[in-house]
Amino acid sequence: MVFRVLIFGSLARELSCASIAVDVPDNASVRDVNEALAACHPHKATFFRGARLAVNHSFRSADALLRAGDEIALVELVGGG
Amino acid sequence: MSATVRIIDGALGNPAPALPPAAQFGAAIVFDGVVRADEGGRTIRALAYEVYEPMASNMLTELGREMLAKHGLVAIMVEHSRGEVPVGQRSFRLTVHALHRAEALAAVGEFIDRMKRDVPIWKTALDEAPTAS
Repeated sequence: MVFRVLIFGSLARELSCASIAVDVPDNASVRDVNEALAACHPHKATFFRGARLAVNHSFRSADALLRAGDEIALVELVGGG
Repeated sequence: MSATVRIIDGALGNPAPALPPAAQFGAAIVFDGVVRADEGGRTIRALAYEVYEPMASNMLTELGREMLAKHGLVAIMVEHSRGEVPVGQRSFRLTVHALHRAEALAAVGEFIDRMKRDVPIWKTALDEAPTAS
């Protein structure tokens, strides 16, 4: 399954994109997406492995399984107010 | 008890919160967040806010409800800007009503800390345009 992980803020500016495409196996978990992101950007691997991911607008545990069509967003480095 | 959230394009206007009946509260706090001219040592002209919806509104509502229950508030209202907010303008307003000041003050501090940590809102400093010489 291919997901486009939405990114925002300073990370989006640093990488000059609004999303990162990752290819993971069927029945992949949130943790698999973290690992795929780390593999895409090895210079930021630690950050991506620990990054919080929202699936369909809710935080999920690392073990939660994904389904095709899920919307995934990386929610880190936030700073409202 | 009520929790209200509004995401507003651009700067917030003057505060005009709907007040609960006066007999229901003894403390009212309106906290306004204002865009500073100095951001990390550099002069800026504005902040630009990205808001990931509907997750941001959902989380602000849930956080407001949690503060209502935890601190026994009467009402809480959240307003947050989306898009560009010039220096000197308001980008965030938290209005809290409670029976007493202690719980109102505690709720304001905890709400803001958790919003800044968890809610998917990002801000970008926009530099001041260079002046012609």
